Amino acid sequence: MPSVLRRVALCLTLVVTSCDDPAATERPATTYANALVDADGGAAPAHESKRIWRAGGAEPFPRSLSYPAGTGTITTLNVAGPTPTDGHPFFTPLGANGRACITCHQPADGMSLSARTAAQIWEESGADDPLFAAIDGSNCPSLPQSRASSHSLVLEKGLFRIPRPWPPLAADGEPIEPEFTLEVVRDPTGCNLDRRHGLYSARPMVSVYRRPRPAANLKYVTGIGFSFDPKNGLPLVLDRETGEPTSGNLLSDVRERTLRGQARDALLAHIELHAEPSAAQLDAIIAFETQLFTAQSSDPRAGDLTSDGALGGPEALAQAPAARLQSAAMNPIWGEFTPWANLPAATSGMDPTREFRESVARGAKLFATRWFLVSDSAGITDTGFGNPVRNSCAFCHNMLHSGMDVAPGQVDLGTTNLPHANEQPDLPLFRLTCHLDAEPHPHLGRVVYTHDPGYALTTGKCIDIGKITAQNMRGLSGRAPYFVNGSAKTLADVVTYYDERYTLELTDQEKMDLQHLLEVL
Amino acid sequence: MRMHALCFALLCSGTAAAQAPAPAAPPPGQTVSFVACPIYRDTDAGRKSGCWLADDPNGSRFDITFGPVKPQVGRMVAVEGVTTDAATEPSTPCGGAVLTPVRIAVLPESCARTIIPAEAHPGRPSKSPPELLKPAHEPRTLPPPPYDTRVFTIYFEHGRDFLIYQYAEVIIEKIVLYAKASGAKRVSIEGFAATEPWSVPSARGNWTLREPARLARRRAEMVAEALRRLGVPEDSLNVSWQAAATASAELEGGKLPESSKRRVVITVTP
Repeated sequence: MPSVLRRVALCLTLVVTSCDDPAATERPATTYANALVDADGGAAPAHESKRIWRAGGAEPFPRSLSYPAGTGTITTLNVAGPTPTDGHPFFTPLGANGRACITCHQPADGMSLSARTAAQIWEESGADDPLFAAIDGSNCPSLPQSRASSHSLVLEKGLFRIPRPWPPLAADGEPIEPEFTLEVVRDPTGCNLDRRHGLYSARPMVSVYRRPRPAANLKYVTGIGFSFDPKNGLPLVLDRETGEPTSGNLLSDVRERTLRGQARDALLAHIELHAEPSAAQLDAIIAFETQLFTAQSSDPRAGDLTSDGALGGPEALAQAPAARLQSAAMNPIWGEFTPWANLPAATSGMDPTREFRESVARGAKLFATRWFLVSDSAGITDTGFGNPVRNSCAFCHNMLHSGMDVAPGQVDLGTTNLPHANEQPDLPLFRLTCHLDAEPHPHLGRVVYTHDPGYALTTGKCIDIGKITAQNMRGLSGRAPYFVNGSAKTLADVVTYYDERYTLELTDQEKMDLQHLLEVL
Repeated sequence: MRMHALCFALLCSGTAAAQAPAPAAPPPGQTVSFVACPIYRDTDAGRKSGCWLADDPNGSRFDITFGPVKPQVGRMVAVEGVTTDAATEPSTPCGGAVLTPVRIAVLPESCARTIIPAEAHPGRPSKSPPELLKPAHEPRTLPPPPYDTRVFTIYFEHGRDFLIYQYAEVIIEKIVLYAKASGAKRVSIEGFAATEPWSVPSARGNWTLREPARLARRRAEMVAEALRRLGVPEDSLNVSWQAAATASAELEGGKLPESSKRRVVITVTP
């Protein structure tokens, strides 16, 4: 069935009485959620009728939205209750290209944007859809915009072009003298050597291609765990406006440190607002996105992710304190699923639900306590821990409930730097050569080949080449592909990457257990 | 190259190192210093439990795991440490005579990446330092009076101004709290660098280590920036620096004279 017809049909049969019913937004939250469950027979409520939210719509954003994701359902919780979207700056196209924040932060995709959704939008609307705006929704603005090939990175990997100024600019706008030279080795998109948009243009830019980060679970992104950043040996950087410490966990390369700065940057860069956003607009965006919590809420193999003592789903995520460090012995990460390690004995024969839940619990335990040698990972193994250092996934993914890094989390684990990065012939390749008086990259030396210099495009430092901020790990099933550059198509690929990168020597069962864990986060 | 291949190569290259001479038994309480290529012994007693070893020029193998900063395979290290009595600090866990206290400095020079198997050595479970920075959400208690002039010292690795994790930040927070409680009028920060040559033996002959004079300033400014970010008023800070640092008995009772030169002294005056 064509996707449009399928959407209409689903809308009529499933959720027309909930999401499209204006009265539904007036109901108390629990009633609204129940209505969804009732409409779907009690399992995995699905919002296929409005899988894609468009900029400029007028439908209120309800308290809870659930969509099929992976093998199960993802739910985005809007804790402040139904939010009018008409005229709201998160939903309203404020700039020249017709986009709003919602364009790239879709509830069905855990408030990010999956490659699947991008392809669906192309199928429905083609190149004229604001998602594919030339500025960053195409491989390069100078390419013919009507062709799918000009948008291949968005369509195939959900990657948006992020043009970074070269040389880097400090927070006060002053140029930073970089510690390295940057050469373009390969330019498959043409944008880094483009006369107007490239490295040698009048406004020199380095184009890298990155996945959008979720506009949800933000208290974990901005929460302060400790006053110091052990990776650079100093207390956390202070916000220039407020004087308050910043978490350092916002954006892949920390080019902005506050939600306000990020919202402003996004409005100017991605939405092409050609004037300064108002304080009221920024306030409204921040207020809305900070009330959103997204997580997988059910899986047909496990049932409700809050059953039998488990604490999956977005409700627990919304209620838990942010920025708390896990402890493998006392309070391990993904303890949400520990109760499933001790389920009552099966009453008879095979119990697939029980088996899946136990697999998830094993995955959680592996994540926290499967020790392996973490090696050659700048940001970790050059900060006094030693190289190598024996630890687990939770060494870096140590923030309870989110899997971010309390520290904060700029680490070069090899997703963008050679030799560890997956083969990515569709992405640019740069050669960075560190100056002789600079401290070189701790593990790669003075010459580094990379698809994305990451944090070094913000700091200009060699030691930061390829460092990428750790991501929030909730709602993963809704937002494939993975890693900053979409280099892992599936969660199985993510597990495989780590298994090979750090020689974990996982058994097939262990790989599956970890994959199951990731699928229900 | 994938890590499978890399680690295989490393473990293979470690086989020869595993057959290095058995550790000699140096007299306890003696300060030793040398430059060596570090060896990682892949023991597994949980997180952060691997062993770090280094052979001195005489062939004695030392366990240097207790240093606050750990080595990096493939990078030479300068070691300064105190030998121990094998009865109280046996070599069993890691397979080397234990140095403690000990400080190591990762040097820019590369060497063979050597990882060896546990070879029946159990390693040691990781132990956190006695004092750790508390999480941000836990309330702080200001130190009680009397508020007299108080001196704090922070030590650094050779050649670096990096504030060492799980060490320096605890001292810096103490300074901040004391300055706040005492209403400090002046916080003097004096940076030092070990600019005088330090001759250290190695299997390849003597090394001469010498820090640049500018490091004294960078260390002082690093501490000043840390204090600023944690709310110590700018106008109370007085930053100075000097080269040719002399040894201080304050670090481990003077048993680590070279390491003690790499310091910043902070004086809080109410």
